Amino acid sequence: MAISAELIRGHLDAIILRLILEKDRYGYEIAKEIDRRSDHRLEIKEATLYAAIQRLERNRLIVSYSGQITHGRARKYYKPTPDGERYYREKADEWRRIKDIVDHLMEDERDENQ
Amino acid sequence: MKINEYVEEMFQSVPESDEKRSLLNELIMDAEEKAADLMAGGKVEEDAVNKALVELGDLSEIKLNLMNLKPPKASMTRLRNNLLYSVAGSLLIIALMLFINLYYSPHTVWFVYPVFAILWWPLSVLLIYLNRKDGGGR
Repeated sequence: MAISAELIRGHLDAIILRLILEKDRYGYEIAKEIDRRSDHRLEIKEATLYAAIQRLERNRLIVSYSGQITHGRARKYYKPTPDGERYYREKADEWRRIKDIVDHLMEDERDENQ
Repeated sequence: MKINEYVEEMFQSVPESDEKRSLLNELIMDAEEKAADLMAGGKVEEDAVNKALVELGDLSEIKLNLMNLKPPKASMTRLRNNLLYSVAGSLLIIALMLFINLYYSPHTVWFVYPVFAILWWPLSVLLIYLNRKDGGGR
C-alpha cells in the first residue's frame, strides 16, 4: 500500500537533502529516486516536492542553479548548503533515536498481548 | 503542448515573477519527462499526459508560497534603501557639524555630542533591517 504524503511530510525535507547530498539533482529526478528507492511504496507528487523545495530554499538549506539547456529549457539543479548538510545529520540522528524508541514500545505491547 | 497550457492555467491567479516562471518551467519539464517515461512503459500519449498532470498533485500550497514570496522581497529592497538613506543623511549632518566645529571653534571639540544623538537614526534603521533579514523569509 502506498504511504500518504501527509505521514511522510515531516521527513521529506531530510529525504530530499539526503538525495542531493549524494549528487546534485533536479526535481523530477528526486521524485523518481524516492519512488525507486522505496520500491514504489512512497509516491511523492510534484506539488508536495516543490512545496518542500520552496521551504528548504527559503530556510537556506539548499540552493539551486541552472543546468544545461535541452529543448530550449534549462533544468534547475538543487544542492545542499553547509546548513542543509548539518540539518540532515541532525534529522537522521533524531530519526534513528525515535525509531529505536518506537520499536521498543511497539514490541513490548505485542509481547504482552501474547 | 497540452502540459504547457494546463500548468499555465493552473497558475493563472499567481502574479508574474521570476520565481513563478522558474517554477512553471520545472513543473512543465517534470510532467513532460514523466509522460515520456510512461509512454516508454507502454502507455498511449493521451493517457500518459493525463496521468502526468494528475500526479502533479494539489498545487495550492506552492501557489500560496509564490504569492507570499513577493511582498517581503520588495520591502527588503525598500529597507535597504532606507538604510542607505539614513547612513548618507547622518554622514552629511556629521560632516556639517565637524566643519562648523573646526571652522568657528577649533579649540573646543563639541561636535561629538550631536553626533551621538544623530547616530540613533541609522542605528534604529539598521536594527529594523537586521530583524527583517533574519526572520523575513518565514
